[in-house]
Amino acid sequence: MSEWVVEVRNLNKYFGRHHVLKDITLRVRFGEVVSIIGASGSGKSTLLRCLNGLEPIQSGEIFIDGVCITANGVNLSRVRQSIGMIFQSFNLFPHMTALENITLAPQKVKKIPRVEAERVALELLRKVGLEEKAHAYPAQLSGGQKQRVAIARSLAMNPKVMMFDEPTSALDPETVKDVLDVMKELAREGMTMIVVTHEMGFAREVSDRVVHLDDGRIVEEGPPEEIFYRPKHPRTREFLSKVINI
Amino acid sequence: MHFDFSALYKALPSLLVGATVTLRITSLSIALGLGIGIVAGLARVWPNTILRTVAGAYIELVRGTPLLVQIFLVYFGLPALGLNLDPFVAGVIAMGINSGAYVGEIVRGGIESIARGQMEAALSLGMTWHQAMYYVILPQAFVRILPPLGNEFIALLKDSSLVSTIAIAELTRTGQIIITRTFKSFEIWSGVALFYFAMTYLISRIVRFSEERLRYSE
Repeated sequence: MSEWVVEVRNLNKYFGRHHVLKDITLRVRFGEVVSIIGASGSGKSTLLRCLNGLEPIQSGEIFIDGVCITANGVNLSRVRQSIGMIFQSFNLFPHMTALENITLAPQKVKKIPRVEAERVALELLRKVGLEEKAHAYPAQLSGGQKQRVAIARSLAMNPKVMMFDEPTSALDPETVKDVLDVMKELAREGMTMIVVTHEMGFAREVSDRVVHLDDGRIVEEGPPEEIFYRPKHPRTREFLSKVINI
Repeated sequence: MHFDFSALYKALPSLLVGATVTLRITSLSIALGLGIGIVAGLARVWPNTILRTVAGAYIELVRGTPLLVQIFLVYFGLPALGLNLDPFVAGVIAMGINSGAYVGEIVRGGIESIARGQMEAALSLGMTWHQAMYYVILPQAFVRILPPLGNEFIALLKDSSLVSTIAIAELTRTGQIIITRTFKSFEIWSGVALFYFAMTYLISRIVRFSEERLRYSE
């Protein structure tokens, strides 16, 4: 067992000739909450998608809980079971109820009996405050509710790390708080989290560490109080002056 | 101008028999075409280059040649290879293979119309590609496939008139035979058209009914 739940070594990623991630090295400890901030197009989401193998990389290595996922012949499905992934656009399965969304993977992937999977799912729905929506279809839920169901769906696989790809960017302002509250609760419980976000308040309040990605490169990382109040790199200062209006 | 619809009335029993032949040959062709088409459509999106290429070639070849020529090839051509087929069987095979290409494209289109995020979400939960396809993509694609599939079935039923050329006494052929006896072209062709319409309308209602039963809002 490794000390790091996620370890990235010298990752390089290209889209065609466009070099989108440049020599990224990043480690995340168990129980750590890491926020990745940066301008649109800086490669934040791409980095997250590389971490669970949704995007191929051109060089470098990625380890998840000690398993190298960039090696040939690695069982990606197996690795992904320990990585929860939350998307900006929720990606709930529209033909299934909230409960069915949550119980599908535990039943089909982990072969957990339906009754047990449903018991866990209801518990998770209670945790995200949506127990009464168990039998609702995604179309009947607000954006914030959908995202909370998506979080419950990921948690049902009992992941070692949860990754969030701009989880609140597609939400109406009034539903953002419910989602952030669920995420804060997770962080308090000791869940390892990597959060790509534009919610600077959340990043400052909840993160153990903030990583600033600029044009595909990590230009600065550190505890939130340092990044937000004493940024060293001029690019970080410039970025924060644009997004924070205090 | 004088119309004699009593000729049509007298021809009704024969036309009805012809219509049941049309219905039989069409439903068998639909079944065959669905089977081939689902396999071909899935092969078109399968992560295996050989499968994709073979399915692609089949679809292009079949769509690029006329059904009438395909029917002749199966019925008149295959005997040269020592394969003598009963006209009905030849008709079903030709129409089934033909329809399979169109159904294949419909299935592929339906699968590809499902947002990429659905596959990504399923994979992220640890499902394999096949599990994601089976539990997440196909159930959604199926609902979208139904309307174009209905179109294809209707087109196939009407195209089944082409097998009249290989001496199958389906609806069109029955009409021709009656006319050679009675010379009542307008009356009999009107009757034939009505029979076709009744059958395509039936398909259209069945498809609409299934659509409504299966629809969920997105």
